[in-house]
Amino acid sequence: MTHDKNLPTMTSPLIKMGNSDKTKECTSYWDGLIQGDRVHRSIYIDDDIFAREMNNIYAATWVYLLHESEIPNAGDFRQIWMGTRELIASRDDEGMVHVFSNRCSHRGATVCRTHQGNGSGFTCPYHGWKYDVKGQLFGIPGKTAYGPQFKARELHLARPAQVAIYKGFIFATLNAEAVPLPEHLGAATRFIDDWISHQGGEDNIQLAGAQRYHIDANWKMIYDNAGDGYHVPFSHQSLLQMTKARYDGGDMTYFADADRSKMHLYSLGNGHTVIDQRPDMYDNSAWEQQRPQPGRECFEAHVKETLDPQQAKSVMESAVGAGMNLNIFPNLLFIGNQVQVIQPLRADATAMHWHATRRRDADEALNTIRMRTQEDFPIMGEMDDAANFEECHRGLVNSPEDEWVDISRHHETGKDVVDEQGIVKSPVTSEIHMRAYYAEWKKLMVAEPLLTVNKSEAKP
Amino acid sequence: MTQSVQPSSQTKSVSRYLPSSLYLDSAYYEWLTTVSSDLSLAVVRAPAATQQLHEEIVQLLTLEARLLDQRAYNVWIDLFTQECIYWIPATHPAMDPRSTITLEFHDRRRVLDRVDRLGTGLAYSQLPASNTSRQFSGVEVWPSPKCDDEWRVRCSFALVESRQGRNRTLAGWNGFVLRREAGSLKIVLKQINLVDSDYPQGNNSFFL
Repeated sequence: MTHDKNLPTMTSPLIKMGNSDKTKECTSYWDGLIQGDRVHRSIYIDDDIFAREMNNIYAATWVYLLHESEIPNAGDFRQIWMGTRELIASRDDEGMVHVFSNRCSHRGATVCRTHQGNGSGFTCPYHGWKYDVKGQLFGIPGKTAYGPQFKARELHLARPAQVAIYKGFIFATLNAEAVPLPEHLGAATRFIDDWISHQGGEDNIQLAGAQRYHIDANWKMIYDNAGDGYHVPFSHQSLLQMTKARYDGGDMTYFADADRSKMHLYSLGNGHTVIDQRPDMYDNSAWEQQRPQPGRECFEAHVKETLDPQQAKSVMESAVGAGMNLNIFPNLLFIGNQVQVIQPLRADATAMHWHATRRRDADEALNTIRMRTQEDFPIMGEMDDAANFEECHRGLVNSPEDEWVDISRHHETGKDVVDEQGIVKSPVTSEIHMRAYYAEWKKLMVAEPLLTVNKSEAKP
Repeated sequence: MTQSVQPSSQTKSVSRYLPSSLYLDSAYYEWLTTVSSDLSLAVVRAPAATQQLHEEIVQLLTLEARLLDQRAYNVWIDLFTQECIYWIPATHPAMDPRSTITLEFHDRRRVLDRVDRLGTGLAYSQLPASNTSRQFSGVEVWPSPKCDDEWRVRCSFALVESRQGRNRTLAGWNGFVLRREAGSLKIVLKQINLVDSDYPQGNNSFFL
């Protein structure tokens, strides 16, 4: 294949340009990369595009940080990321959550060097500047060496322009102009609420540790796959074959001929999508369909001994996933009972954090089987996905003349149905997930957002 | 010895999932967490094993490592008791697996699921397969309390993995519980404690 003449040549000034009078030129540049049914390879592998994403996507729109249950007590803190920006989230004595940069106002050293902990604040190891748990500077050794000009400056740890919490899920953006979080979540809210209901309500959810993976591939490969109902019978063939051979079938077999299943893929706006597996998964009994996890028999016996049949069914189904692959652009994926977070590292490297959940109202037996269930897919399936992401990345890098990534599945079949809210219902193997989020991606990449942090005193 | 607790209910003995897995009850978990904290203790333990037993254990661990390097999983699994656990904590020290996620925690049945999955030849994370070479050293042996046929073992390990021409090093320490059954030593528990268990892991889709 020859170079596409219509495609503007990739140059850094185009990508980095910040003058709004050149927006038109810029728009046509991004239109060249993101077309209706294909996207250009450079968006996965180009370092300048990655650098712009870290501002225009991972700072200028709402980015998921952490769940409130990860910092339950006063003084709790935890390192978090907005793309490549490292921040700290903490909880103060009044129970308020604070989010600020892990960067001393003096010379830039990180003030927090552990993943998580509990304390009364942070002391910079370099020169001993002291910050309280809200990130406010309250102590500088040898302060008499500073004059009035210095003392007039705001030197608290830098807070994102906006931080907001939706039912325990904490988000932030550096864009003061970003629409309010509820508006950003939009039509996805109903599905988030369904996911929360499956866990017994927002106050019932406790994150229970994480499985963390490093993948040598662009972060979007992971987001691409999160709404991909097409790959299952191929990428996960080993899992399906083993399940068939050992247990005569089980979960995910309904993906074999997915477009004829009862499942659908919904495009929810703002880059959010969901594969709703529930019509097939919960049609009969999700518990019965599930491949056996360690301790299944003991758990089942315990539940049947202690609960009436209807309660037993609901408790056993809580052990199974919520039946959704719910994708909140750009970095929050609800999958099964897990909360998966994408952390871009470089154009060609990504960390993925699979946070497990347990329930506050559950007995030990239920929470235990939830752990065993949530461990299952990462080692049985995710490793094969990750291998494919890495091979996609290698393929794109190694064949520069072959420029396009195809996303045209069900683009021309006329199967999409749009409801009055604008939600698009598609066949489950449709690549509408990618077409929809790339439309949002392009809108954000074209923009010239103003990114700001606040170093003033934290509001009470 | 809580690991010998039998299932109390008749309903447990019927399972359509073979091999049935009836041993992972709350008493077994209780025992596991006790063992896990013992394995990670920073204490001086009096040498308890005879030279002969020590050598027998080193031989078993050597065989276990070699069979994994050879990816002879169907032979390797026979080194384990029927009621066994393969456990890779996601934290160090290991947290209670009843309330916190692990990297891997398998009963015998799920170990066999993994073995069979790899055996399909369609597990793309192992296509091509990883070549591994393991070293272990610093073997310490002490008896399980109130047992004359069961021992706890710790050793350090380093594992070089090579796949598609790229090499990685995994390292840490292994904790074992070994029990003598019908004259031969078997593995009841293998707990793999990676030095970086709480950091993002690469493609560890082979057995560690």
